[in-house]
Amino acid sequence: MNQNLENIKTQYLKKISNLKTDKELENLRIELFGRNGLFNDLFTKLKEIPVEKRREYGQELNVTKNELERLIAIQSQKVQKTEIKKMNNLRSNIYDLPKMGHLHPITQTERQLNEVFRKLGFSVYNSPEIVTDEFNFERLNVPQNHPARDMQDSIYIKEPEYLLRTQTSTIESYLLKAKSKDLPIRAAFPGSVFRNEKVNRSNHFVFHQYQAVVVDKNVTMKDLIGTMDLMFKTLYGPDVVVRYRCKYYPEVEPGVGPDMQCFSCHGQGCPLCKYAGWIEMGGSGMIHPKVLEAAGIDPQVWSGFAFGMGLDRWTMAQKNIKDIRTLMGGNLAYKPNEL
Amino acid sequence: MKIIYSELQKFIPDLKVEPQKLRDDLTMIGHFTNYFEEIDGEIVFDLDIKVNRGDCLGYYGLARDLSVFYNLPFQNLSKPINSSSNYSLPIKVTTQNVKRVMSTKISNLNNSSSPIWLQTFLKCHGSNSINTLVDLTNYIMFLYGIPNHAFDTAKSGENLIWEMNSKFKEFISLDGSKLILDNKILMINNPNKALSLSFWGGESCAIDLTTTETIIELAIYNRTTVRQNSRQLKSVTEASIRLEKDLDSELIPTAFNHLTNLILENCGGQINSQIFDYYPNPVKISGIEFDSKLPSQVSGINIPQDFSIDVFNRLGCQINNNLITPPSLRKDITIEADLIEEVVRFHGYQKIPTNQALTFKEVGDITPPEIYLIESLKDKLIELGYDEVLTWPLVTSPVDKKTVIKTQNSINSEAIYLRQSLIPSLEQQLDQYTRFKLPEPQFFEIGKVFSKEGDNFIEKNALGIYHHNQSQLLTDLEKLNLKTQIINDNFAEIIIDNLPKPEKYIPNQQQNNAIELTSQIIALDANIILDTKEDPINLIEKYSQIIGSKNLWKLIVTDIYQDPKTNKYRYTFQASYFNLDDKTAKSIHLKTFDLI
Repeated sequence: MNQNLENIKTQYLKKISNLKTDKELENLRIELFGRNGLFNDLFTKLKEIPVEKRREYGQELNVTKNELERLIAIQSQKVQKTEIKKMNNLRSNIYDLPKMGHLHPITQTERQLNEVFRKLGFSVYNSPEIVTDEFNFERLNVPQNHPARDMQDSIYIKEPEYLLRTQTSTIESYLLKAKSKDLPIRAAFPGSVFRNEKVNRSNHFVFHQYQAVVVDKNVTMKDLIGTMDLMFKTLYGPDVVVRYRCKYYPEVEPGVGPDMQCFSCHGQGCPLCKYAGWIEMGGSGMIHPKVLEAAGIDPQVWSGFAFGMGLDRWTMAQKNIKDIRTLMGGNLAYKPNEL
Repeated sequence: MKIIYSELQKFIPDLKVEPQKLRDDLTMIGHFTNYFEEIDGEIVFDLDIKVNRGDCLGYYGLARDLSVFYNLPFQNLSKPINSSSNYSLPIKVTTQNVKRVMSTKISNLNNSSSPIWLQTFLKCHGSNSINTLVDLTNYIMFLYGIPNHAFDTAKSGENLIWEMNSKFKEFISLDGSKLILDNKILMINNPNKALSLSFWGGESCAIDLTTTETIIELAIYNRTTVRQNSRQLKSVTEASIRLEKDLDSELIPTAFNHLTNLILENCGGQINSQIFDYYPNPVKISGIEFDSKLPSQVSGINIPQDFSIDVFNRLGCQINNNLITPPSLRKDITIEADLIEEVVRFHGYQKIPTNQALTFKEVGDITPPEIYLIESLKDKLIELGYDEVLTWPLVTSPVDKKTVIKTQNSINSEAIYLRQSLIPSLEQQLDQYTRFKLPEPQFFEIGKVFSKEGDNFIEKNALGIYHHNQSQLLTDLEKLNLKTQIINDNFAEIIIDNLPKPEKYIPNQQQNNAIELTSQIIALDANIILDTKEDPINLIEKYSQIIGSKNLWKLIVTDIYQDPKTNKYRYTFQASYFNLDDKTAKSIHLKTFDLI
């Protein structure tokens, strides 16, 4: 590297690490990168460098500039952390309302639903997040090359055998296998699921679903629809309007799709509901005989229902959160106390 | 998929319901319909056809469904064709991936731009009009859900071969895309040229306005092969969407005749070969034993047994006592449960009551003890003032390269490794809070951490925790009986799987307001002077109410001072505002504390 640039870098490296306040850092930033700053001057003088060396020098100049900018940003974070610590240590005589801890909104919703189902005799269940194709697809009546696999874009650990579970129905596969000799079953399972989606304001590769499963004798669609309706009324209030329609999912038959009347337009059609007047709330149905058979459960004797729904969008609507990334890290925060 | 109401009415002439009702009825019987709109005077519906209903990727199948639902007669639009030619096309099929092909040659054509009705039809379907011959092939695909193709014989010749590619390295599609081929690709070629993929025509034999002779073909293939080809070539077309579903080979003659007649009507010409029909394994449909009591048993409401028989008749099933043979069109009906669903959906899901939920039943608690442990830990941490956060289970860089689990196909470059520790993610969370100048953060996460031991993937439940005050963190960990070391600054992490677990635990319910921070928290000071000493907490509550909770993050009293000269009390407040710009925060602040 050019000796002059090397010297500048060394000189400012030391200077940056000694700065202790935001103001000092800002002053240095102006000194280096401001309109009349050092680097602006160096770039202006670039034309004085011989043509054959100009390109190389220009690249080195950029590298040095980027490096110093990066170091200033790192030092700025350190300074901010120290300032907050200092502020926290000066709090001996401060009067404040009691500090409250907070559950994550997703946990709040999960617990609200768990409580509904606990009162009906349901257990809460879980299973691994790294799963096999067998449990994520095959046992749920989705064989290899079935077009239904396109409904979910999987994240693979070791293709085609190991992947991150794409749905909470996968937990159902594990549950049915584990408890096939221990019937009847009533279980609910909140869980993270993964899809190969680009992360942006509306989509994430990880999101949260909630599923409930019953296996017993003489279970009917009336039980399924009545229980789902109870759940929706608990979540959305007694006046919520939900319709139940025919919907295809490979792991259930007959399949049932619950749609909630759009809370924004009350069924008239608006951009939120894509002018349908209804919002799809998940999927459900009577457990497919092949799914029961795959678990070693005789569908002539036992029947059951399963339903699942996403929790993220509901939670976002409830908490007025506009960006799905907020739910997973980022800028989700809680007021420290009730004001 | 788009559906034009007037085209649907050609198949069901007595269909007169209002578009709004048709939209709702389609949805209730399984074809979710978002909306309908008017395009060039036509009412066009937007439907979501599910993957098990390949038959409904065309008007024909959808109209069959609706004619059953509304109990209205269905009209077949196709008429037979006759060929007087003795000429046999030199077509070969050398692969078992072809289920059925029908083909013929039509000569002396007069191709032109499409008539208005055809252009409007395609516009409603979001397709461009090319010329009459090409547009008619697309029209038939939309009508019957069966893709088809027309070759310009001046370019393709007549020696068409359906084969798995073995000779050609590349293929130029109709839109000019160059695709690299291998020997797993199902193609239609002639001995010298790659002509067409199973799901996409080729540029080399494209129909244009100078075309005077064509070979048309309608075919159905092994859908898995089409699906694999489409994915391998990263090409999805209207044809591939249909051909990778289970389509009905028995419908090919109906669609073929309709296409041929339309070409003769709109482009003139004559059929100039025998009709080629390759159909080595005609569809055989097995009867399904059906217990007519089951629709009532499964639905939980009374569905008369006669109703089931009526539905099967309308669907076109063959009924032999309790043996029901579905029509070949309905590839989705293969077992008794499928027949039950047909009966229940046509009977109407809306007839099932919604107010009869399950009641409590003791079936034994199968909750894994670690769930009780996690829930009780969360409640204890909340009581100690910690906030729960969730972070990304997939991270940018590994903690230990030897044991990290890497994803194979994550499209997010910042998320390719499964996290081995919660701490790096919690550090990022702290950075974010620091950026927002959030005071006194203390938070935790309970989540999975992952690692690899040989060929085994290991998942463990971990607690990660941060407190801005390290000594308080140690005190809190002691209160929780958690023996762990502070890992990094004020962070701690512990694997909780081996901790003692409660036998049962009913977690607390909490509803609180989480906030999406959009800007830094702004802290502003203010002094007020009072004649008498007051409880600072009462003052905090009083001023909190004045400011309102919408943008007030926190309000504290940082100092109380009695002036020895005046004996008056000075209270110093610090108010923190969120999701406001500096100017607005200052304005609210000055007004609240009367500092203007």
